[in-house]
Amino acid sequence: MLLRGMTVLISFQLLGTGLNALLLPKLPGPIIGLVLLFLYLLLTRRVSEPLEVAAGGLLRYLPVLLLPPAVGVMVHFADIRADLWAIAGSLVISLVVSLLFAGWLMQALINRQQRRKEQQS
Amino acid sequence: MTPDWSAALTAIIEHPLFSVGITLGVFQLAQLLYEKTRLMLFQPLLLSTLVLVGVLLLLGIDYQDYRSGSSLLTFLLGPATVALAVPLYQNVRRVRAILLPVLVTLLVGGTLATILGVGLAWLLGAEHMVMMALAPKSVTTPIAMLVAEEVGGSASLAAVFVMLTGMLGAMFGVELLRLFRITHPAATGLALGMVAHAIGTARALQESEEAGAFSALGMSIMGVLTAVALPLAVAVIS
Repeated sequence: MLLRGMTVLISFQLLGTGLNALLLPKLPGPIIGLVLLFLYLLLTRRVSEPLEVAAGGLLRYLPVLLLPPAVGVMVHFADIRADLWAIAGSLVISLVVSLLFAGWLMQALINRQQRRKEQQS
Repeated sequence: MTPDWSAALTAIIEHPLFSVGITLGVFQLAQLLYEKTRLMLFQPLLLSTLVLVGVLLLLGIDYQDYRSGSSLLTFLLGPATVALAVPLYQNVRRVRAILLPVLVTLLVGGTLATILGVGLAWLLGAEHMVMMALAPKSVTTPIAMLVAEEVGGSASLAAVFVMLTGMLGAMFGVELLRLFRITHPAATGLALGMVAHAIGTARALQESEEAGAFSALGMSIMGVLTAVALPLAVAVIS
């Protein structure tokens, strides 16, 4: 089960890597693989059980896989200190503004869709 | 004859599996602590990163050595990124009726979040490498790290920014939205997911099932949109 699902995932990743080298040098291979797998699922309209098992297992342990690159922050302490205020300002302000904007827009669009439906019925 | 402790220690540290071993060990301890306390401050990835940095500094291990030693784990990041297509597909199917408002919000709001983040950093005088690591900050970590590297930022800096954004969003997001009378669960969830990714989704799930579903949806579409659009946008601009 797990092996079959892993084979599917790795095949899509390798397919993505191939396309990355051939046509799309700007998009990372795994991202192309992700888009391809998504399109494949849209076409077949179902997630096979091995795929679900493998994807679920990998995603559950995703944080562990991300640790080695994250630890690389230790080589960047000086960079962070140099730009500390720019980083903090950018993070906080853009978070507040885009969170509120996205929430407001979504709520407005939902209300509009509902009003339209009520008018039709 | 006295046992040679330092030789034994060196043998352990230099073993090819040492990096993998401490990574797994530290992560599980952090996870345990997080489950016991449920404090956002002990978010396992953030806490383990700090502890691992401490351990490496203490033992005098070079980051490059640690990185190549743990490549066993890093190899799996590719398939794990591809695997994100599965929850994306399941989420999209679940909310088909309301997909149009979702897509509009994600396109407009996501563009705003990215431009605002990079623009503010630029105004405040950040370096190019830091700016490019800030660009994908709203996106779930594996995508953010891949994308940051692609556009000339640092993957590990991106991971830290992603984590900080997520924690800020999870700590104050719901209250902030409520303050501005944004209370529809779909709106709350989507906003949290697209700005504060997985950590925001965990917070949205505490609000309601519906908010959680929209948050997961926002997170996955935002991730893919950013992954596809950002490298292309940077390539066009520069």
